[in-house]
Amino acid sequence: MTDATAAEPTDNQAMEQSRDLSGARDMIACEGVSKWYGDFQALDGITATIKEQEVVVVLGPSGSGKSTWIRCINRLEVHQEGRIVVDDVELTNDLRNIEQVRSEVGMVFQLFNLFPHLKVIDNVSLAPIWVRKKPRAEAEEQAMALLERVGIPEQAHKYPGQLSGGQQQRVAIARALAMEPRIMLFDEPTSALDPEMIKEVLDVMKVLAQSGMTMMVVTHEMGFAKEVADRIIFMEEGQIVEQGTPQHFFENPTEDRTKLFLSQIL
Amino acid sequence: MSEMSSGLGVPTIPAPPEEPHLPPRQWIRENLFSSLFNTVLTIVSSLVILAIVRGLLAFIFNPQRQWEATATNLRLLMTQAYPEEQYLRVWVCVAVILTLTAMSMAVWRAGSAVPLPGVGRRLLSGGVLLALMALLAPFGTRSTFIWLVIGIVVAAGGEALRRFADEERSLSTLALLAMALGGLVATLWVVPYGSHTFNLQRTPRVLAEPGTVAMSTKLPWTLMLVVAVAAYFVGTLVRDRLPTNPLRATLLVTWLLMPPILLYLVLRDPSFDMGHVFTTDIPIFAAYAVLGGALLSWLTRPSTGEAGRIVAALVLVAGFAMFATPMRMIVRLDMLLLAGFALSAPTFSGGPRARRRYTAGWLGVLGMMSWLITAINTPSTVDVPGGFFIGGISLTLMVAIFTIVISFPLGLALALARTSNMPIFRLLATWFIEFVRGVPLITILIFFSIMVPLFLPPGMHLGEVAAVVIGYSLFSSAYLAENVRGGLQSVTRGQHEAAEAVGMTTSQKTVFIVLPQALRVAIPPLVGHCIGVFKETSLLAIIGLFDVLYIARYVMSNQTEFMGSTKENILFVSLIYWIFAYQMSKASQRLEQRTGLGER
Repeated sequence: MTDATAAEPTDNQAMEQSRDLSGARDMIACEGVSKWYGDFQALDGITATIKEQEVVVVLGPSGSGKSTWIRCINRLEVHQEGRIVVDDVELTNDLRNIEQVRSEVGMVFQLFNLFPHLKVIDNVSLAPIWVRKKPRAEAEEQAMALLERVGIPEQAHKYPGQLSGGQQQRVAIARALAMEPRIMLFDEPTSALDPEMIKEVLDVMKVLAQSGMTMMVVTHEMGFAKEVADRIIFMEEGQIVEQGTPQHFFENPTEDRTKLFLSQIL
Repeated sequence: MSEMSSGLGVPTIPAPPEEPHLPPRQWIRENLFSSLFNTVLTIVSSLVILAIVRGLLAFIFNPQRQWEATATNLRLLMTQAYPEEQYLRVWVCVAVILTLTAMSMAVWRAGSAVPLPGVGRRLLSGGVLLALMALLAPFGTRSTFIWLVIGIVVAAGGEALRRFADEERSLSTLALLAMALGGLVATLWVVPYGSHTFNLQRTPRVLAEPGTVAMSTKLPWTLMLVVAVAAYFVGTLVRDRLPTNPLRATLLVTWLLMPPILLYLVLRDPSFDMGHVFTTDIPIFAAYAVLGGALLSWLTRPSTGEAGRIVAALVLVAGFAMFATPMRMIVRLDMLLLAGFALSAPTFSGGPRARRRYTAGWLGVLGMMSWLITAINTPSTVDVPGGFFIGGISLTLMVAIFTIVISFPLGLALALARTSNMPIFRLLATWFIEFVRGVPLITILIFFSIMVPLFLPPGMHLGEVAAVVIGYSLFSSAYLAENVRGGLQSVTRGQHEAAEAVGMTTSQKTVFIVLPQALRVAIPPLVGHCIGVFKETSLLAIIGLFDVLYIARYVMSNQTEFMGSTKENILFVSLIYWIFAYQMSKASQRLEQRTGLGER
């Protein structure tokens, strides 16, 4: 592990497109991670590291293991071989490690997974109150601030079912941020949204990326990948095929499979 | 709509425009005679319904029917042989229950507003129905005429309201209910129903006198109505002045505490041996209160962590170990209770306020349990010859309420255990559920009433009814667990993952995310189960308890005066059952509507 104090990029640097993160410390380190569902191998020896403040977009055809990989990182799925180290904590069967990692890693799901029986503000403040043991008043104040940040403070006292898809996904982002995570995982956050709602969610994610959050995003939004990603990882059949800056990836990819994929979607 | 949303604090959603009500003639044409087939169907089913109603009315108003049997035995049906000179206790209980009901109705804003034309529509159909009944019933000419006139007057009044009343003006359903009940109670003072009393002297004899009903009936019921209405208005005052959520929580806790308090303090009136209470019961309570309180206060500190879980597990082991050594039952039970609280402490840990609340909860539950155990083991001052001290509909309701209240947490625990990923819990819960579901209820009731006292350690007494309630609760909890399990399975995997992803522990996830959603889905089967529990209390008769059905079937129809009145009695008792079951079913519908608000 590199020294944590080695590189502390200022906000200014974080705003720039291609940042030099080579000195930053590793937030997520995967070594030879493999996973099987029965006989089917979903992940095949994934080795990759993600630096602090880095925004990584994972691309690939469906069934390539992107979601499985991202879900392994906060142990919603259990990997069978290899090591995953998140913020210096290795994910094993030890419950304490899992709880620690989960409270440091926020996750946003494809289908939002908001709690339908709770009002929006309670969706956001529930975990800070019971997991972080914050006083209720403080947690609700923070929840309001976060809803403000994602642009929907006026919906705080509605139920999720009364909101549009884009609003729900922004609540889900606020809910994840309420735990003050150091890493945010996005598992196809815009795939279940109508086209006109995708932008409002992506905008929130862009602002989040510019604020210096470490992010790992599985998505099919090429525009977002081009504009926001520090690095793009392309996966197929459970393996990392190619990775690099957006410029490298979209303009002169080296692998044939990447070229094929790009030709199909662009 | 606005009533409902304000109850949950949700911004009011504009109601969709109401569908216009069709005039009766048009409604009938569109719905009953729209096609040839529909017309034939309407005529045939009307004839069938007419025949059934006519048969029923002919049965009810047959001059041979001995309805005096019901009128004379109302008190027997209500409480069986509860002593006359202590009957005030029963009325206190009824008053307490009515007060709580009325206050809850006020605080939860029950009821809704019906526009006056709507009231008119209902009066119209009610009046037409009444007139029709008058024609069908085998009355003499004079009675037929009187009832026909009443029916027509009501219908005409309704029609007038429907046509001329302002759509904007409305009447609350609660006011209508109060008016109806008030009218009913008023007739007790005016209409000569006849005064039927059953003389329980050496030679039982019915004293039937013309005139209004006895003072011992009409006075208490009038007072009860006054109490209920007054309680409702107190409820509205309190509702407008106090914060909503604490008020509701207080009422709910009162509801939970009421059954044991009413039963064991008011109705049964234990004669406490104060010397024993001060030298044994209170010291045991104090020791547990202080030591347990300190332990829980430490366990709910967020910084306690792993050491707390080990200590809680040790308390559980100590609780079980106590059963191996001779000591007072209450000491062992208190220890098990403490273990339960200790094990769930980390879930509710938090700031000073959360910790104080948790410790207060412990003191409350401990105090309640200590008092209850002492009260159960203290002889009663109410002197009833033989059997249990209360029977009739009171016993039926009591067993039903206790069984439902006890089996609910038990069923939840079983359902959670059966779906948990800890194999031992899963296996035990599955075996228990499958075993209990494979055994008939009667077997369990007989087993618990006869066999359990034989297995109890010497010196410990468990009343027959208590034994039956325990058996019935175990039986009911197995079924309840399966209903809850259905609800648990309806909670999607995404909900589990979302809760896990924000770092909740398994128990936090269960309490805050999974159970609320599962229970909401499970409301219909759960209420169905509760209705079943209520009705199946009639099996108590088999083990010799005087429940309301047993009294109707065997006691009343064996009274020399009322030989062969079984049919009437059973019809009356089924009406009682229906009223209670129907209210439960209505409550379930309202609950579904309310909790369905936030659903997507």
